[in-house]
Amino acid sequence: MRAHKESSKQHSYGGRTMLVRFTLNGESKVEEVIPNETLLDFLRRSEKLTSVKRGCDEGACGVCTVLLNGKPVRSCLLLAVQVNDAVITTVEGLANHGELSEIQEAFIEKYGFQCGFCTPGMILVTKALLDERADPTVEEIKEAFEGNLCRCTGYEQIIESVLRAAELRKR
Amino acid sequence: MQLEYLEEVKKLLLGKSYSIVGKDVRRLDAIEKVTGLAKYTADQMVEGALIVRAVRCPYPHAVVKRIDKRKALKVPGVEGVITAEDIPGRNQIGYLAEDQPLLTTKARYVGDIVALVAARSDEAAFQGSEELKIEYERLPALFDPKESISSEIKLHEHGNIAGDVKVRKGDVEQAFKGCDLIVERTYRSGSQDHAYLEPEAALAIPQGYKGVTVIGTIQTPHRIRRILARVLGWQEADITVITPYVGGAFGGKASYGPVICGIVGLAAVVLGKPVMILYSRYESFAYRFKRGSFEIKFKSGVTRDGKLRGIQVNFMIDAGGYAVSALGFMPRAAYHATGVYEADNVKVDGIAVYTNNLPSGAFNGFGDPQMQFAVESQMDLLAEQLNMDPVEFRLRNALVPGARTGTNQLLDHSVGVKDLIEKVAKKADWREKRGQFANHKAKNTRKGIGVGCSWHACGTTGIRQDWAGASLILNSDGSVAYSTGIVELGQGTTTSHAMMVAEVLGIPFDWVRVGANNTDTTPDSGATSAQRGTIFGGTAAVDAALKLRKRIERLAAELLECKDEDISIENGEVYDINNGDQKISFREIAYEMYMRGLSPGEYGFIKARREYPDPETGQGDAYAAYTFACTVAEVEVDLETGHVQVVKLYPGVAAGKIIQPAVVRGQVVGCSLLGLGYALTERVLSCDGQILNRSYSDYLVPTIKDKPEIADLVCVEDEYRYSGFGAKGVGEIALIATPPAIVNAIHNAIGIRFYEIPLNVEKIYFAIKERASNGSRNEAITEV
Amino acid sequence: MEAETRQLPKFDYVVPSSLFEACKLRKVYQERARLLAGGTDLLVKLKKRAALPDVIIDLHRITDLSFIKTVADQLVIGGLTTLSQIQNSSIVEKWALALFQAVKDMACPPIRNRATIAGNLCNSSPGADTAPPLLVLDASVRLLSTDGERTVPLLQFFLGPEQNILRPDEILTEIILPLQQGTSAFIKLGNRNAFTRSVVSVAAFVKTNNGKFEEVKVALGAVAPTPIRSQRVEETLKDAKVSEKSITKAVAAVMEELHPRETSLRVSPAYRREMACVLIKRALSNIAMEGGQC
Repeated sequence: MRAHKESSKQHSYGGRTMLVRFTLNGESKVEEVIPNETLLDFLRRSEKLTSVKRGCDEGACGVCTVLLNGKPVRSCLLLAVQVNDAVITTVEGLANHGELSEIQEAFIEKYGFQCGFCTPGMILVTKALLDERADPTVEEIKEAFEGNLCRCTGYEQIIESVLRAAELRKR
Repeated sequence: MQLEYLEEVKKLLLGKSYSIVGKDVRRLDAIEKVTGLAKYTADQMVEGALIVRAVRCPYPHAVVKRIDKRKALKVPGVEGVITAEDIPGRNQIGYLAEDQPLLTTKARYVGDIVALVAARSDEAAFQGSEELKIEYERLPALFDPKESISSEIKLHEHGNIAGDVKVRKGDVEQAFKGCDLIVERTYRSGSQDHAYLEPEAALAIPQGYKGVTVIGTIQTPHRIRRILARVLGWQEADITVITPYVGGAFGGKASYGPVICGIVGLAAVVLGKPVMILYSRYESFAYRFKRGSFEIKFKSGVTRDGKLRGIQVNFMIDAGGYAVSALGFMPRAAYHATGVYEADNVKVDGIAVYTNNLPSGAFNGFGDPQMQFAVESQMDLLAEQLNMDPVEFRLRNALVPGARTGTNQLLDHSVGVKDLIEKVAKKADWREKRGQFANHKAKNTRKGIGVGCSWHACGTTGIRQDWAGASLILNSDGSVAYSTGIVELGQGTTTSHAMMVAEVLGIPFDWVRVGANNTDTTPDSGATSAQRGTIFGGTAAVDAALKLRKRIERLAAELLECKDEDISIENGEVYDINNGDQKISFREIAYEMYMRGLSPGEYGFIKARREYPDPETGQGDAYAAYTFACTVAEVEVDLETGHVQVVKLYPGVAAGKIIQPAVVRGQVVGCSLLGLGYALTERVLSCDGQILNRSYSDYLVPTIKDKPEIADLVCVEDEYRYSGFGAKGVGEIALIATPPAIVNAIHNAIGIRFYEIPLNVEKIYFAIKERASNGSRNEAITEV
Repeated sequence: MEAETRQLPKFDYVVPSSLFEACKLRKVYQERARLLAGGTDLLVKLKKRAALPDVIIDLHRITDLSFIKTVADQLVIGGLTTLSQIQNSSIVEKWALALFQAVKDMACPPIRNRATIAGNLCNSSPGADTAPPLLVLDASVRLLSTDGERTVPLLQFFLGPEQNILRPDEILTEIILPLQQGTSAFIKLGNRNAFTRSVVSVAAFVKTNNGKFEEVKVALGAVAPTPIRSQRVEETLKDAKVSEKSITKAVAAVMEELHPRETSLRVSPAYRREMACVLIKRALSNIAMEGGQC
């Protein structure tokens, strides 16, 4: 099949696009991507996923966080062409047919947000953490979130939201 | 705002406890923010919008001699180069003084914007700006306000002084003569970067023949509209300003809004195309206006009985190249210079001086973090020399109802600070810990506990009056379309407004919607700053709701055949209190209003209960109401490295009625971390007018691991009679109290006092080392 | 880095599917190409135009460079092993505790999930946190090209800030550590509690025998143009009695050795020197004196 053959062509010269196949929020995608676009820009521009934010474009703030194969990464430090065969999750992929996930419910209940700009990243880090560890301690939570900056909340209610999310997921 | 709104509301609700206000509800922005649906400025993607880039002067002081656009215009993708001559109206965007052009012909700071390059892509805009040939004539530059004040080098036509402020109450000279103890020190409070996660962004779309819509990361939509009208030479009605969600602001987007909106508004109108600007984090750090730095000489006199008798304060502000917000935070600092204490004799002289440093803008606290650091350090110094406990000393002097401020304003009610200090000290186990920590015998660490108090008036300072509007429309099905000019910055204020409206109308909270912030439809509620969103913005909402309610009651009384004052509305049901079985639904009433041609809408409009202090004496009712905070901090100092860990904070506020407890807690915790950053890790470094830290790697804001343990918030609900539900503001107060609490705690831990914030770990380390090598480990006071 | 970030520059992009193919590409392009491992350093450089390669060689398909194993008397770590993988490795915790401790405080989890150990070493920042631990653990690096392979002690690898001996046709494929008796530790001093570069970092390796220092190795980061070993401390402590006194004396000697620069962010050389001493003392005391099993 042509698509399959194309994706085994692992180079791009002269700015040509490459075919990239990946799963995005549960959906299979096949896209033509130029090599010099970050995953961040690609997700925002091409996939219209505005929940993935640009805060600094150099990996120092965390608002561009997405899950790559379940693990948090900085989408501003990845090339879009690097996600071939990968599974990508953004916050748009968490709600299920209009029903909020437990993590989102917890963040609402426990006021884990104020301006909301860092919130998608925080929610994704929560998901990665709770998928790995159902009952994290506060110390473990702090370790997981140390690279996600927040200027509004002082982090307290974010920690409480994560703990609440863990509770809700156990039910 | 002459009505006693608190009383009106209580009467209306027949003295029952509130069913919505004071409880935690689902915030109106909650679902959008946790699902990623919330749109911020950069998320408004407009097809075909040009990217505009600011071309900046690389020198701190220079005249623009010539701009040669030719090469720039030849860069593929570049569609226009705009300079000062292209401005159709007035080239003036000054916030509180008309000293600041949008595009300058004389640069007064490194980064002053000289031209704009608009292009079809980021890269083209970048290249275009590199190809723009600008000839500058460099001028000698001034970086020290002390030098600038007497320098021959003139930074502005009107000289190097942006403004000054005086407070004169009583007779300080005389008072000092009668004092048993006088303490005089010099303090320095430095700059701070907002470092909000959403960088500056704005988008402008020309509309029709003469119109433009501007969307931006701002805090003051109507002011932006006014300024754009000035720049474009149009009427306010020709311009629409839309404010989507804002990703953090803290005052920075108030001062800087005119710059980014001016840029895109101008470019869009000149080029006739949609234009967008997205600041890089680098631009945000390097060029956006920050907290102004102060040098404060503070002299306090007390009598042996522990009463503060007089203060004399001289302070100088580095305003930077343009005054921007300095003419607001300078008087604010002066009017708050007594701290939360009563002093009969007050002499304050403040001056804001132009330099070629980055202009100083608004930042949460607005002059008070700088000033209260000095005030609270003085209080500790005085207490120590009087041999009094610092909390005891503060209680002895704290403002109480009936006291007068330094501007001689009578505070007749809503002065909860004394109660607050007592409660916070108790919560922190103050007395026990002071003793305990002194005996802490670890080899390389010392523990300390310190207190800091603050006050911060709600509402803007001086120059302009402080008004707020609100619009309320009852839909025919009983749901409510509410509209305010107050911006949702994350502080949850628009949710508070909706709660208050629902409470006053007697309907469920989820029947109220807050409309988008669009100057075509939202009333002018003034700026979203100065802790005024709830106290004034919200009171305008209550004003409108009360008026509408009267009309509803009138109709209901007619339908239920009873008196207006016997109407009760609860949870959307309307009934006569004397005949509870007969109910009409609120929906029916709403529909009936339409059928009868009774106006379903109301407009609330109020102004703050305050005047303009006298320019010579600063005396007068400077503000409507004051919010108070008290924070106790526990620290641990590592003697070997100079590092300070803030172990625990005990925050408390007296902010009137708390509309949303969980939200207020979040505000206080967030502000406390901003204060912790201001004290310990956030140093804005500059050299020859250039900001050196231009990334989050070089400007260190607290991470989650830097968060101390935080005790439950102590709230004293000292209701303010003239606001809806008695609420005051709480958006800034906790930041102010935190740095002095930390610095005082450090002194308690290691016996060394620091007179400059942000602290510098090296300074702490070398001070400890020097003191140790001098052999005196228990020296009472060492000054650094 | 001082410059502003921009959109990524243009470059040709190749993804070899084997180490062999990667070496061939390296040979062809040499200085015209940059290797892309985790990307957490390179992408920032590209956006700031601090690197402008014609070609980027993306190594992410070379999965056999991602491993941690013991082979005979060596601990071998594949160059493309991520910092997160190292952080979660019980082998590393057992045999290279200083490295284990260093990695868990580097940057933050999302960056560690991508950043590789070869990338950190080849970036050659004077403050690279993986370097001091590897230096005290006597690490060597294996460098592969189409011309063959060479193994170089890490001590000889760094030449200066962002400079090392890697040839433009080479790839750093493995880090090799001898399995040694003794224990190691790593401490860093930063300006906030997490996610910050080191103001000073120290790694130490200690082996004691009968209350005496049989072997001491100390390395420092962020105090010199490259990560360095401190010969003064090591020599002074060899065969010395394990005591606070001997440690303090040895550490005092370090002061003369160090000449850190003043950085643009105003961390003074004096403070760095003094903190280096404090950290060395702490690292050695922790391992040698308070329950560290050497």
